Amino acid sequence: MDWQALALSVKLSFVTLLFLLPIGILLGRWLAYRQFWGKSLLQTLLALPLVLPPTVLGYYLLVAFSPNQGLGLWLVNTFGTTLIFNFQGLVFASIIFNLPFAIHPMQRAFAAIPREIREAAACCGMRPSLVLWKIELPLAWPGIVSAMVMCFAHTLGEFGIVLMVGGNIPFETQTIAIAIYDRVQSFDDHAAAVMSFSLLLFSMLTISFTYWLSARSERTHD
Amino acid sequence: MKFSVSTKRLAVRYLLLLFFTPILSAAEIPVIAAASNLKFALEEITTAFHQETRKSLRISYSSSGNLTRQIQQGGPFELFLSANAHYVEQLYQQHKTLDRGQVFALGRLALLTPIDSSLKLDVQLNGLKQALQSRQLQRIAIANPKHAPFGIAAREALQKQQLWHAILPHLILGENVAQATQFASSGAAQVGLVSYSLALAPALKNRVRYLLIPSSLHQPLQQTAVLLNNAGDTANLFFHYLQQEKARGILARHGYTLP
Amino acid sequence: MTDSAIQITLQQTAPIPLSVQLNCKSGELLALVGPSGSGKTTVLRAIAGLYQAQNAQIICQGETWQNSAQNLFLAPHQRHVGLVFQNYALFPHMTVLKNIQQAITHLPKQQRQAQALELLKKVHLEGLEQRYPKNLSGGQQQRVAVARALARQPKVLLLDEPFSAVDQVTRRKLYRELLALRESLAMPMILVTHDLEESTLLADRIALLHKGEILQTGAPEWVAAHPKSATIARLMDQQNLFTAQVVAHDQENQKTHLRWRGMLIEAAYQAQFPLNKPVCWMIQSANILLHRRDRPSNGNKENPLQGQITEYMESSGLAHLRVQVDKQLDTTITINVPLHVAKRNALGLHEKIGISLLSEGIHLMPYQALRSES
Repeated sequence: MDWQALALSVKLSFVTLLFLLPIGILLGRWLAYRQFWGKSLLQTLLALPLVLPPTVLGYYLLVAFSPNQGLGLWLVNTFGTTLIFNFQGLVFASIIFNLPFAIHPMQRAFAAIPREIREAAACCGMRPSLVLWKIELPLAWPGIVSAMVMCFAHTLGEFGIVLMVGGNIPFETQTIAIAIYDRVQSFDDHAAAVMSFSLLLFSMLTISFTYWLSARSERTHD
Repeated sequence: MKFSVSTKRLAVRYLLLLFFTPILSAAEIPVIAAASNLKFALEEITTAFHQETRKSLRISYSSSGNLTRQIQQGGPFELFLSANAHYVEQLYQQHKTLDRGQVFALGRLALLTPIDSSLKLDVQLNGLKQALQSRQLQRIAIANPKHAPFGIAAREALQKQQLWHAILPHLILGENVAQATQFASSGAAQVGLVSYSLALAPALKNRVRYLLIPSSLHQPLQQTAVLLNNAGDTANLFFHYLQQEKARGILARHGYTLP
Repeated sequence: MTDSAIQITLQQTAPIPLSVQLNCKSGELLALVGPSGSGKTTVLRAIAGLYQAQNAQIICQGETWQNSAQNLFLAPHQRHVGLVFQNYALFPHMTVLKNIQQAITHLPKQQRQAQALELLKKVHLEGLEQRYPKNLSGGQQQRVAVARALARQPKVLLLDEPFSAVDQVTRRKLYRELLALRESLAMPMILVTHDLEESTLLADRIALLHKGEILQTGAPEWVAAHPKSATIARLMDQQNLFTAQVVAHDQENQKTHLRWRGMLIEAAYQAQFPLNKPVCWMIQSANILLHRRDRPSNGNKENPLQGQITEYMESSGLAHLRVQVDKQLDTTITINVPLHVAKRNALGLHEKIGISLLSEGIHLMPYQALRSES
């Protein structure tokens, strides 16, 4: 078991969550409540990572952030860093790749809150930020947690994008999924088996937890 | 779910720590890009290096072509160990390297099959020819010639023995020579034309049969080391260490011919 | 208009047409009545600030909540409204007590609980503080919604069909409670309903809404007896609606003569309707006399008609009759009589009876084509 790689993977997942939680809540809520011109286009774009092969996204990220020109060059000149072949790059790619996994469940959770309840809260004198904090978030919480759990698990299992955008750099971008790949190529079947099985167990736990959560939220909302 | 204020504060602090840690610790140890055929030899060499100098290295293994691309795109490597001189030359022309590099070993090809296979291994590759004709050979693994020097060499050898076109429909391409070796050693392919150094890998002992292929069948696989523009002291040290006696001895034991 | 606690003006053509001018005094209960789709809920939501009409002016107890001319619009949480939603909209993740406390923003934390308990007592729900909404009956949920609306110390109480989701028995109970509660409330109350009977029972005044337009305002009984148009009469569920032609105006005797179905009938004097032109007229059941077989009376002489009972139904102590007026086979008049009267006169299907239409009760309205005559 490559503990370094596992730690890196867990770190990547948590940091991704840190960004996706507010992004998911804001975007999911906005899409749940509002109709606006261009909404279908936006929803299509946000759903792309679901069907897009990771290599496509990886390719575009490489092209966009290559430090030899354009955006990548600007980043190097301004911040002294790039978004490829390092941890930050993985986080960035991970956020994009997990957008639909974060937004869709949260959007559903917010949409499930009857509009009248939010209106009743406003009529009670709550300004919009309070309505969000006291009413919407508690009611949407199971959906939000479920989204976060899915994102965590999904990030843990990311491979294609990590390989393309991160390379295979130990302690930096060698996540556990890459480490398994690496062990196989080193003919270390034992290590590969141990790590694979652990991830399998973890994935099963994640899915069970998500199902349990959504069943529980159905009961609360009767 | 309700969390007390102090719990929330603790969580925030922990998360911030989590976020910044990888950026701090990883930055110090230099990264080397190395062709995957060098894996086992390099493990020994870096251990010896560490014992002598107390310095550590991180190695990223892939095919030479893939590593070249990563270097072109600004990968954080300080030293590049390529499986041929061509990629190094390419990088030199693009001003990514300090110089034209140094050949530190010559790689060799080997035929490799699982230990229980009945396939005939011979230096003229006649066994392959027979197996093809009798339809016993379904799949043969080589590294992808598009970006792996060992794949190029394998193709050259097969072409020289007039086997290339017959074998084409049976080819399985490994992303790098290590993956090709894994295909062959696991039996996913019946045979592999791969790196000799990997066939000698301790992990494969008693799992595979192999045969060294004469170097006359292909262009020399010049394992070339080159320092990249951002090379630091440790990388520099290692670059020279590779060409010294201890390292050369290890390379020889792993099947490389020494220049 | 200055003694009105709340004044509302809404004008817009799209997306929902509205032409509304309303006012309501403190302590007065105004019912907004109309069929589904007439825009009543939209009006209520506009008052609460949940809907922004294009040209509007809403002033409540001295505060301007909306003034389109000045681009002024206060959000719902900036207005002190108490809104009881049709489905109550209780916060499912909070207890009854917490639900009510959410609206008590004007008191410091320690006192909120006490205040909430007070309100619970007011709606007769003591003991249920810790229950969750899903464990309450419809009637209980409605009371919590009312308590929560009142907790806001609102300047106007708005109720959006608050009784539609409960059964008949509970509904009657809630009516009584609302009327009792009203005594202690010094604020205007606006109730939206499609139930005419409910509005008659509860409201001081009704405003009849049809396709976004207020057609008539006034006390419920008065509007029912004096609709300004046949449309309004229909909306007020008046059964006896017919067309006739004005034949003469007799100022001396204070009568207007009409020709209806070949018969001459006398209505109260309503000279504003031109001679020899068609009109619509209606009469309420209360202004129709049954000719009692055992005891004839003088009233029998006004507009007497002979007919045959074609429909007979008993309910709630009343007998509902449809009487086909003899000479014209396709004209029926609806009257309701107390059950004991029906029994005493041996009324039943196919019985022949005489009725009199009291002139005072014949109310004329401008002519409009009626889809069918009663």
